Parts: sequence; structure tokens; C-alpha cells
Amino acid sequence: MKNYLPFLLLTAVFSLVSCGSDKKEEADAFMSELDDGLETPAISEETINDILMQIPAPLEISMLMRESGSDYDRTILSNPDKVANYNTQFKQAINLGIYGTDLIYTNIFGKNQEGLAYMKSVKKLADELNIGQFFNLRLIGRLATNNDNLDSIMLITTQNFNEINRYLQEKKRANLSILFLVGGWMEAVHINCKMAIENPEVPALAERIGEQKIILENILLLMSFYAETSPEIKDLHTDMLKLKEAYDKIEITYTYAEPTTQVVDGVLMIVDNSKSTVHITQDNVKEIDQIIEDIRKKLTL
Amino acid sequence: MKILTYIILVVAFVFGGQTAQAQCTPTESVKTCIPKLAGGFHFLKSYEINGRGGRLDKVEYSYPFAKGTQYMVNLCSADGEHKGLVVTLYDAARKQLATSVVNGQQYSAIVFNCQATGIYYITYTFDNSTSYCGGSALGFKR
Repeated sequence: MKNYLPFLLLTAVFSLVSCGSDKKEEADAFMSELDDGLETPAISEETINDILMQIPAPLEISMLMRESGSDYDRTILSNPDKVANYNTQFKQAINLGIYGTDLIYTNIFGKNQEGLAYMKSVKKLADELNIGQFFNLRLIGRLATNNDNLDSIMLITTQNFNEINRYLQEKKRANLSILFLVGGWMEAVHINCKMAIENPEVPALAERIGEQKIILENILLLMSFYAETSPEIKDLHTDMLKLKEAYDKIEITYTYAEPTTQVVDGVLMIVDNSKSTVHITQDNVKEIDQIIEDIRKKLTL
Repeated sequence: MKILTYIILVVAFVFGGQTAQAQCTPTESVKTCIPKLAGGFHFLKSYEINGRGGRLDKVEYSYPFAKGTQYMVNLCSADGEHKGLVVTLYDAARKQLATSVVNGQQYSAIVFNCQATGIYYITYTFDNSTSYCGGSALGFKR
């Protein structure tokens, strides 16, 4: 036995070296679950991640606003100075999403200096949630001094948020990822509603709000997985059900038609010949706007 | 001599397993793909394609596409360029809408001009791939 002792010790050391990072990740995940006071929902991680991937990027919802000729309005955004009020993981994650969308909104309209205030609040919340490593404030600050860098800022911001989501899912903190995405999505719909009310002559804005019916169904499904184990998510889920009632009045019709394919300058282009129609009125938009306003007030207190 | 043999065996066992796991690094392919989105397309999402050495015959993601928006999905393979990777697009009812292989020719990207809002499935498959590994970026333009 004495002769084998060094070998056994050597094996143990190698095993620890090889498994060290995995064990640390497991420990991190375990600690974060303890922090959140959440049990793992009775649904596979894969299913949750699949649904999470279906939540659209706020950039896409917001881009329509600039193209529709809407004016920038800072008063509809969340106040970046309230960041210190958010001292629970729930509030931090959801407001990280809200500020993230506000940041993108300022980016889209080229309000880079105002965007920096949001970037700082985003960074602070991300640091609190131990995901601050994804933001390089110095780089964004440098880019923000010139409006020609708008595309670069948007690209970096979108990449950062994608990386955060991937990281949270890998670390088995999908509950935070959900809140982050829901916050971002809700803020995008909130801004879109304000723009649609302000510009009723642009039906595309209202249609974009109506299209979110598909997304809301997925969001409610995701939240229902965690509603039983988190009182805060349960409350938000209950509030979101009111939003669903408003969305139930909106109808989306879909007609399939065979697409056509063509090669244009070496690029394969597919023209969709299917059609979808969103049946939404200004009253529907106002109702959705009011419900989101009420939910948002609670979340940004 | 016995000690040396033992050490070699332990090292081979421990690090050999790690090498096998580290064969596919789709994050690198994703990094290559994002800047390859055509001009005017804004980056939306990146997708990792890991066929686990051929154990998976497809890797699938889904995303809501919006009416009046063009989407570009490109391919970057660990085999080089877009070799061995095929992307196919399906609508919510699983009807095939587009694929990156037309008349036997493989394209590095597809552009889908969406006219119907809904959930779409982006499916990656392998065709004569050696790595079963790659990345993809999704961009949009209105």
C-alpha cells in the first residue's frame, strides 16, 4: 500500500485539475440557485432555452420606430439614475433588460451621450448580477463620441446581450435570463406603443405591437415554469395575464403560399409568398399601453 | 520505470478525454460569421452548430420573423468557409421554405424576404462534413 500511495495521490491531483472548472461551474450554479431561492422547474433546460431563443431582440422591434419617422422622446424611457433602487436579483435582472432596450433606443436615434448614462446603469446592474465582464464601458464610451460608430455600438450591445443570455443559461441561471429578456421585450413594446399612439398614421407601428401576441404566449409559458417557485415571478405572471386578455382581442391570420427562390448577384434570395395580417385597432394599442404602463411602474419603483 | 509508465497512463487518460471534448469550438465559427453578414443587415443572433462528431444529424433553433423584414442566415464551417453545412428554413407548420442547397450548389447564406409574421425554424444539417461543427449569424434589414 505504501508503494502505491504516491501514485494514488498523483491520480487524485490530476483528477482535481481536470475536473476543477466543471466543479466550479456546478458550485456557482448551486450557489446562484441558493441566492435566488428557486427550485429547478420541472421542465428540461433545453425546452427553456429553446423558448428563450424565440424572444426577439429589442433592436429589431425598435428599429421600426426610427424608420417610421417617429421623434426621439427621452421622457418615455426609464430613469437611469434609479439604478440604486434595484437591490434584489429580480429587480436587477428585469431592469437590466429595461435599461438595455433604452440603451438600444438611444443608439438607434444616435443619442450616444444619453446612451452612456444607460450604459453605466446597465454595467452597474450587470456587476451586481456577476455578469459585468461582458461590458467594456471604455470601448463603448470611445465609440459613443462619434455618430459614425452607431452600427458598431449596436453590434457590440447586441453581442453583449447575446453573450449574457448564453452565459446565464450555461450557468443554469435561466430564471434571470427570462427576467432580463422579459424586461427588454416589455420596454420595447412600451416604447412602440407610445410611438404608435403618437403616430396613428403609421399602421406598421400598431401591427408590430399586435405581432407580439406570438411572443407573449411564449413568455407566459416560460414564466409559468418558475411561477410556482418564485413569488415575484408569480406576481409578474399574474400581471402579464392581464396583458394576455388585451392581446386575445387581436387576431393574426396566416395564409401559406409556395415561396420563390432566385439567385441575385450570387446571393440566394427567397421571396416569401405567404401572407399574415394583424387585426389591431388604436383602442387595442391604448389598452396594451395602459397595462404595460401599470406593470412597468411596479417594476421600476 | 513503473512510475514513468503510470504517469504516462494517467496523463493520457486525464488529458486525452479533454482533447476529445474540445474538438468542436463553434464560438470561433460564430465570431467569423458575424462580420460576414452583408452590408445593411443588422446582427440579431448567433447560433452555435455542434453536431457532436456526427452523433446529431441536425441542430435546430427558432426565431420570430416579422413581416416586411429581410433576414439573412449565413454559415461558417470548421471545415473552412461553409463546407459541409446546410441551413434550411421552415415555417411554424414545419413547411420547408428555403434551403442553402439549390440544384446541387451549396450557398454560404440565404436571404429570406419575410411577408408573414410567425415563428420560423432554422435547421442546420451536415453534408459530407468532417468536423460536424460551425457557426451561423442571423441578421435583419427592413
